[in-house]
Amino acid sequence: MTQEEKSQPVLSARGITKRFPGVVANDGIDFDIRPGEIHAILGENGAGKTTLMNILFGLYQPDEGEIYIHGEKVEFKSPLDAIEHGIGMVHQHRKLVEAHTVLENIVLGHPHAGTILNLRRAEQEVRKLCEEYGFKVDFRAKVWQLSEGEKQMVEILKALYRGAKILILDEPTSALTPVETRLLLDSVQAMAKKDLAIVPFITHKLPIVLEISDRVTVLRKGKVVARLETRHATEKSLAREMVGRDVLFRVERQEVEPGKPVLEVEDLVVQSDKGFLAVEGVSFTIREGEIFGLAGVSGNGQQELVEALAGLRKPVSGRIVLDGVDVTHLPPLERWKTGLGYIPADRIHMGSIGDFTLVENVLLNYYFDQEYNRGGILDYRKARQMTEQLIEEFNVATPGPDVLGRNLSGGNLQKVILARVLSRRPRLVIADLPSQGLDVGATEFVRNKLVEAKVNGAAVLLISEDLDEILDISDWVAPIYEGRFMGIVPAAEAEREKIGVMMAGYNAEGVAQ
Amino acid sequence: MKIGKNEFKLEKRTSLSGWQATSIAVLAVLMTLFLFGFIFLQAGISPGMAYREIFSYAFANKHGLPLTLNRFIFLLFTTYAFILPARAGLWNIGMTGQMYAGALSAFAVLYAFGAQQSKSLELSAGLVIPLMVLASMLGGLVIGAIAGYFKGKFDTNEIVLTMMLNFILFWLVSFMIKEGGLFMNPGGRGESFELPPSVYAPLIGGVPFTGLVAVLIGFALEFLFDRTQLGYQIKAFGKSPRAARYAGIDTFKIPFMVFLLGGAIAGLAGYHYFAAVPGVYKIARNYGQFGDLAFYGIICGLISQSNPLASMPVALLFGGLSIGGRFVQGKLHMAFGVDYALLGVLMITLVAFQFFYRYRIVRVSLDEEDGHA
Ligand SMILES: Nc1ncnc2c1ncn2[C@@H]1O[C@H](COP(=O)(O)OP(=O)(O)OP(=O)(O)O)[C@@H](O)[C@H]1O
Ligand SMILES: [Mg+2]
Repeated sequence: MTQEEKSQPVLSARGITKRFPGVVANDGIDFDIRPGEIHAILGENGAGKTTLMNILFGLYQPDEGEIYIHGEKVEFKSPLDAIEHGIGMVHQHRKLVEAHTVLENIVLGHPHAGTILNLRRAEQEVRKLCEEYGFKVDFRAKVWQLSEGEKQMVEILKALYRGAKILILDEPTSALTPVETRLLLDSVQAMAKKDLAIVPFITHKLPIVLEISDRVTVLRKGKVVARLETRHATEKSLAREMVGRDVLFRVERQEVEPGKPVLEVEDLVVQSDKGFLAVEGVSFTIREGEIFGLAGVSGNGQQELVEALAGLRKPVSGRIVLDGVDVTHLPPLERWKTGLGYIPADRIHMGSIGDFTLVENVLLNYYFDQEYNRGGILDYRKARQMTEQLIEEFNVATPGPDVLGRNLSGGNLQKVILARVLSRRPRLVIADLPSQGLDVGATEFVRNKLVEAKVNGAAVLLISEDLDEILDISDWVAPIYEGRFMGIVPAAEAEREKIGVMMAGYNAEGVAQ
Repeated sequence: MKIGKNEFKLEKRTSLSGWQATSIAVLAVLMTLFLFGFIFLQAGISPGMAYREIFSYAFANKHGLPLTLNRFIFLLFTTYAFILPARAGLWNIGMTGQMYAGALSAFAVLYAFGAQQSKSLELSAGLVIPLMVLASMLGGLVIGAIAGYFKGKFDTNEIVLTMMLNFILFWLVSFMIKEGGLFMNPGGRGESFELPPSVYAPLIGGVPFTGLVAVLIGFALEFLFDRTQLGYQIKAFGKSPRAARYAGIDTFKIPFMVFLLGGAIAGLAGYHYFAAVPGVYKIARNYGQFGDLAFYGIICGLISQSNPLASMPVALLFGGLSIGGRFVQGKLHMAFGVDYALLGVLMITLVAFQFFYRYRIVRVSLDEEDGHA
């Protein structure tokens, strides 16, 4: 490749505009991607990032504007056209077939899948890709058994296997553990170096942007508001460009006197889908006014623990007491009525219904409520008022409460779920990855909301893979490793290094368990 | 595709209003009539004349209209039986069996009152008719509940299950009405005993009262889905069982309830056709044909996008075309079953037009583009 070819953009977009009923999602966007560069696209929730990526991938047709690849105008009628031109995309919300194996997912849907009857050969090819970029994943596992991070890798492998030269990653790290994030970043850098794979990168995690990207394009309300070289940027300056004001990166910690126990868990044992014991006898108590942070690399039993607490998974043994009521054998609805408020990690399939309007989505946590349900008749008017109020209070970017859930941007959907659960003023808040996919402003807002809930006397169980998030607001930190707590550490003694070591399976004294 | 200075492109719809859905369905019907016109031409018959005959007989003739309305009512019940589970994301194709169960149960009430002994038995209409109606609902309900129970409890495939129940009920009807069966006609003939005139269903303006019931149920279902807690739970379960479970919706109760209620309504179809339609008043030997007609409830349900109110005009159209088609076939001495052929073509066209529920055609003027694509 000559020097000249190298500096010519591999992909350019000119004047991309896309309108949806009630919003202009992209408004005359221009930008270029150069070979071998990692180009981050930043913006608040609803700024139009996903829409832009969907257009580049042929999922949407722009209302106006053109796309050029190597200087040549292209028109993508469908993702197949985009794949043909070497574009690969990993979506904000995973699109794998859960019941298939990893390898099947990677190979199926390949443009030449018809000719690849030889799975073994395909396996070798994929294995080579893995080695090249440092991915580790069990090819024979079924996708539903994978952690978010593993699914992410599978998505990337799938795109690479289809011959992607330009890889679009939408929020690649929002559901990843720090370790997985590290691995992913290394692979991304390896790709950028080796293959001249070009990687536009969208993320709300500013330190990551600063660390690995070469250039940044910032969107606000569908328009490009800044283009900069990453080395000239700081976390503060990026946040300011995105939000249009200064963002404080601190959450006010507030100490309150803990009250009576809200959640008491005794010797809980829970089985995983794969059949082994995912939670092997944990006991803990969360009191009124406490935030209990569960720190751990995903796949160490957090999911199963949370599901058992929410009534979605039968424990093998043990006891769960919620606000003085033994709920161990009660169905989910009874737990909600007893004061549970559960913010699930999977906002697309569990936390919301894409074909429901926002009002109907809010009703998911209210349809059983006395005030919204009189003699079996739902009060939709009241639900609508409530939805409008939540949209206002949580600053959800949407044309209105009658919009379908699937038409919201990822972060805004997350805000609706959070708003809905917290507005019930639950006794126990289970917040599973509450700030995933939220922009800096919204993350700050959510953490403040959790603190507010605690100050108002709720008990909060916070599950996060972001250690900073846990350390910032928790009163207790419980590192979980292979289904056991490595200890329950009061905030004052929870130093970063110590918790990190414990998450890797050592107790507080540094002895391997 | 290029036509003159315009280029037409397909684009995925981001939304579809009820109004757009209706206009697509209307277009599909017009398309069907157009296509079927060629079949008439082939047979040497003027399509204009044939359609005039079909529609005037089905909707404006004093003999044809009641027949149309009776089919309409029958189809409406079986459509509802499809719609209820469909809203919960489940396929009920057992309306035939549920309908048979309804018919058998209604006749069981008559049997209990000794009606198979004598056609001229004087029974108290005020007592026996409500009992028959209730029994027919109960019969359909039980058959529906079996499917719902297994779906809810063990996640059995409801299509296979309801299909099997259809076969069982078909043979059960045969067993009951043929030689030696409990409900056999004293004169033999392979059909059931006849209804005593004292318990003929009351008519409202020449139409059995079941017509009113069918329309009322339509509005009741609309209300159920739009306003009630149960309807909300059904919709949530239908759109996302996982989210429904998260929200505490009972994942046994919902499948069970929709099949149970759907079965009960299908049972009414059995009462309607065999015990309320003037001129029938028995389970005739060709009862299997009505079983086949019941399946059109699936088509009506699909076309109306599981909307109970929208299903009314659809069922009326299907009922009218089948009656009118049968009529022209006889009148013009055509060699094939115009009624089912017409329904068949309509069905295929409507299904093909479903495509436009998901895509729309947009026009791009080539003047604005700079040529190379
Ligand atoms: N299919 C659609 N129909 C209607 N509106 C849509 C659709 N897709 C996106 N929008 C709207 O367009 C705007 C931009 O959405 P987009 O998903 O691109 O945001 P984003 O920058 O990716 O946000 P996030 O960080 O929350 O993922 C939002 O206001 C969203 O509601
Ligand atoms: Mg997005």
